[in-house]
Amino acid sequence: MADSGQQQAPSSAKTPADFLKSIKGKPVIVKLNSGVDYRGVLACLDGYMNIAMEQTEEYVNGQLKNKYGDCFIRGNNVLYISTVRS
Amino acid sequence: MATEEDNTVREPLDLIRLSLDEKVYVKLKGERELRGKLHAYDQHLNMILGDVEETVTMVEIDEETFEEIIKTNKRMVPYLFVRGDGVILVSPPLRS
Repeated sequence: MADSGQQQAPSSAKTPADFLKSIKGKPVIVKLNSGVDYRGVLACLDGYMNIAMEQTEEYVNGQLKNKYGDCFIRGNNVLYISTVRS
Repeated sequence: MATEEDNTVREPLDLIRLSLDEKVYVKLKGERELRGKLHAYDQHLNMILGDVEETVTMVEIDEETFEEIIKTNKRMVPYLFVRGDGVILVSPPLRS
């Protein structure tokens, strides 16, 4: 396995952890088990999948309900993290 | 050398650390929201909050018109221990 040392694009990440590393600082949608969506810029995350986001918008049933400058989401509530084209 | 007062956010819990002694918004399971001063927290997100306003939101359906009636109950609590597993989201006050 030759490591080119180049920046890996998200699509070529090999493991889920590689993917998560590669999307820091990118706009994402985080969906919780409750069905609520959070759209914002992923600041960082940890092994529990706790998430820190910036410029976060909270969508319930597709409707914007709230905005947070910074927010912390407890990892156990996370269903998925998705990148968005912007 | 990194100090306790380091202002950078390297992991999500740093965001909470930077909110110590500040007013925070906490979203909990069961349509509950808290606003209060963060006195202490741990890695589970167990938290001690002071001067807390708890808001409980309930949605009732009118039996005749089927309209959703949203009711909110608020109460003040001087001190609150919050168990971490009920926490969904924590948001610090807006920093300029």
